[in-house]
Amino acid sequence: MLGVAGPNGAGKTTLVKTLAGLLRPSSGDVVLELPGGHRAPRDAPLSIGWAAPDLALYGELTFAENLAFFARVSGLALSAAAIDERIEAVGLSPSRIAMTYSRFLSTGQRQRLKLAYATLNDPPLLFLDEPSSNLDEAGRAVVMKVVAEQRLRGMCVIASNDPRDLALADDTVSL
Amino acid sequence: MPSVEREVRASLLDAALAVFLKDVKTEWRTRVATSALFLFAFAVLVLVGYAVGPTTLSRGDRPPVHSVLLWIVLFFSAMTGLSRVFVREEEVGTAVALRLKSAPAAVLLGKLLANLALLTLVTAFVVPLFLAMMSFEIQGVGLFLWVLLLGNAGLASASTFVAAIVSKGTAKGTMFAVLATPLLLPPLVAAVSATQVAAVEPGLAAGADFLKLLLAYDGVVTTAAFLLFDAVWRE
Repeated sequence: MLGVAGPNGAGKTTLVKTLAGLLRPSSGDVVLELPGGHRAPRDAPLSIGWAAPDLALYGELTFAENLAFFARVSGLALSAAAIDERIEAVGLSPSRIAMTYSRFLSTGQRQRLKLAYATLNDPPLLFLDEPSSNLDEAGRAVVMKVVAEQRLRGMCVIASNDPRDLALADDTVSL
Repeated sequence: MPSVEREVRASLLDAALAVFLKDVKTEWRTRVATSALFLFAFAVLVLVGYAVGPTTLSRGDRPPVHSVLLWIVLFFSAMTGLSRVFVREEEVGTAVALRLKSAPAAVLLGKLLANLALLTLVTAFVVPLFLAMMSFEIQGVGLFLWVLLLGNAGLASASTFVAAIVSKGTAKGTMFAVLATPLLLPPLVAAVSATQVAAVEPGLAAGADFLKLLLAYDGVVTTAAFLLFDAVWRE
């Protein structure tokens, strides 16, 4: 569990996006040590989970439809019950948000959707950029749970200004 | 942890179908592209009907003029709505989420199917109205249907790939027209010529060369799109 700290503009998000393969480094290479060998992040998108403030999901789909869609395109067959479990895992009631398009969810609920999206494939490598932004105390508990589960299956990089997020990491680098 | 789940090997077709169905569902809920396409097509049909009409042309002039007008309506309708499949993903920011979870070929195939479906709907709306309003008689119905099918496939294939290219830049609308127009001229010329033939000749044989040309174009453009899309999508 690695924390990345630094003031606004220090490059935390840029670093995380580069490590996740979403940005090409201006020099050098990113190589990830993953189960099955060393690979560039662009060659292993399904091994990477990423949640960030600028991640957008489909506003015209419900929470469950978003999860079902991303599961299907990534090769996961999730039953309706499994989708409900994913929703409950981020602290929401499936029945209460069943009919709500995600653009009508609150900012905090959308943040929980991002966490559910990022962990959908149980990725060995999880990048969380400002994971607790817009979350209440119950939401912060969800972040702690997500990080604890990630500890069992791989690595997590947390970029944040929030000391409570960084406290979840074993080591922290400052930019 | 979720208990009722099993991992399956992602089939390209299944993932493409998921992208297609997602696009259909989101379009059905917003109706942005379909509204623009149908309103444009309807407006052009009315204007063409008013300006040219069924009786202002001699019987001999009708096949070439009507063939051109029909494909102008379909071409500009394509320009109006088909870029949206990728442009919206980039503008809203969902492209990154899609990029992380799906194979590029599945995204392209799903988007291509969505555009083909949209263009087929517009064609089903435009063609009967156009034929009726303009008293445009088609002798070779089989040839005409093949031309519509292959012409639309070419329009959809080229438009989808160009949409993927322009979606990451600025001035997307202008760039789409600038890049797509030269790419779409060859199939349009073939489609117009074949429609002219279908208007006067029964049977497929008279338009076979144009059908082969359209088929070859569709094959080349679609193959090139699949070969190049990975680089376009990931950059």
